[in-house]
This record gives sequence, C-alpha cells and structure tokens, in this order.
Amino acid sequence: MKALLCIDDTDDLESPGTGELLQNLCAVLEEKGLAEGGFVSRHQLLLHDDISYTSHNSSMCTELTLSRENFRRMIELSREYLENNCAEGADPGLCVVDLEALKDFEILLQFGAKAKEIVLDKADAVAVADKYPETIFLSEHGGTGDGIIGALAGCGLRISGTDGRVKGKLELTPDELMTVDQFCEKYGITAVLDQNNRIVSREDTLRLVSIVKPLVWHNQTAVLVRPDEKKMADWRLLSKQEVSL
Amino acid sequence: MTDIWDVAGDRKLFHGGKQDFNKAASAAAECSLFMPDYEEERVADELRSCYNCLYRRWTSNSFQCMKNIERT
Repeated sequence: MKALLCIDDTDDLESPGTGELLQNLCAVLEEKGLAEGGFVSRHQLLLHDDISYTSHNSSMCTELTLSRENFRRMIELSREYLENNCAEGADPGLCVVDLEALKDFEILLQFGAKAKEIVLDKADAVAVADKYPETIFLSEHGGTGDGIIGALAGCGLRISGTDGRVKGKLELTPDELMTVDQFCEKYGITAVLDQNNRIVSREDTLRLVSIVKPLVWHNQTAVLVRPDEKKMADWRLLSKQEVSL
Repeated sequence: MTDIWDVAGDRKLFHGGKQDFNKAASAAAECSLFMPDYEEERVADELRSCYNCLYRRWTSNSFQCMKNIERT
C-alpha cells in the first residue's frame, strides 16, 4: 500500500531541520522493516504575520510504500519518533494519509491550496481529518500542536503532484554539457521542462550550472531550463535562485 | 531607514524584496551574525546571503531580520 507521511513545526533554530527529521524517521522505518520512503518534498505555506512560524512556513512530506499489516505500527512509531526527537520549543504535527482508502482527494487538495492563501487554524485541520477517521491520521506532539495544520496541508499539496521542491540539491559542474537524456539518467530526474512547463526533448543538449534544486512534477522530479544564452547548448539549467521562492 | 533596511519599532525589514540577490549578499557579507539555514531552506546560489540566513523570517513580500535590530 501507499501512504503519505508529512510533518511540520518540528524544529527550532538549534535543532535539525524538519526535512532532516523526516529523512531520519524514514531511515528508522526502513531499518525496522516497516516502510520504505520515497523522496521528501518541501511545501511552502502562507507567509503571514498571524502565523507563528520561526523563519519559513513549510512542511515536509514523503510517500511510503508498506504492507497493510505494518500500517498501524508505522503510525505508532512515527508518533513516538516525533515525541522523542522534536525540538523543545516546537509545535509538531504529524499527518498520515492512507492513499488507498482515500476516496475524496478534493477535500485534501482544497485544504492544501487554502493553506497557501489564508490563515487556517487547528480546528480547520481537525474538521477535515475527522471526516475520514480511518484514512487521515492527524496528531499533535507538543507545544501548541499547530504543526497539524501544515502537516495536513502538506499531504494535500503532495497529492496535487505539482507543488514544492524535492529536498536535496544537485551539485554540478558549471558549463558541463550533456544531453537531456544523459542528465536525467545520471541524476534520476524524470523530466526537463522549459519556461512554459513543456517537456524538453531527450536529444536536446543542456548546459549545467553549479546548484540545482529539483521540483515536484506529476509526483516525480523535474528541473527547469531556459534557452542557453551562451549558445553552448540548446538549454541551460535554472539555478536555485532562478527558481523563485 | 537605510538603503538595505526599513526599521520600524522592533521590526527590521529588508528593502530588496525576494529577488534582490546582490543586496542580500552585500548585507550578509557585512553581518557578523550570519548563520546558514538548513540546506532545503536556502534560496540564493551564493551561500552567504541574507536569503539563506537562519535568522530571516520570510514575509509575503520580503523578509524580516530577527537577529540584530541594532544593525542597520
């Protein structure tokens, strides 16, 4: 079966970041033979004075592959892990979604979209989860527990398939040339997209830049390009800062 | 107010919005309290940039420096 696992508000200025915590949790789940994690995605939520984030308001999500019999144990262990590993002053929240049992994707999609546009509160998140008690598992793990808002929203945004960045970066050799096909094969990228989000031909050539952050695209990974201004290749990769916040 | 910061009460807001990478790098170069944020939260190519600093709080249009209100 497939399930989404999303966490938010787990860190403070001194602790490991939420993304690292999620990766560590996935490593524990794998170690125990309970689940295998996919890539971790970062989802930007609303930036607003009325929301109590420290520096950025983002949640981290991954898709797990696991057997049905391990599902409950996976949730229990994830909860225990957050209880034991979140920063002292954090307001952690966890959301697990059983993707096979989820019949109504729309409500989660809408919640994710709303979390980018308006200020939501815990009651909004609980109201969504309460409608699907055997499908959406929402839990607070300290502090105000406000992290459940971002955790639920992160699942909605991950389900949308085209929101956020993939955790991690590609460190490349600037001006190195290769075909799109070679690039995708070498770095495990599904697609290279132009400025109009059209897929670039695998035969086209590509000029690399030093650091690239892949995006989530149709539940897979993609990078963006623009026509190469140096004319060394058909396309040049967009660097981290060229892909706006 | 300086050409980099707007200081109002206890809020110190960056002038350059979210896309002035040169200004954000200049400000960080002069700051003794710069601390890089987690990798996944860095947005500027150049590491030493206020856009990559742990002590910036993003707002809808720019960011607020949370560290040293006295630095202008």
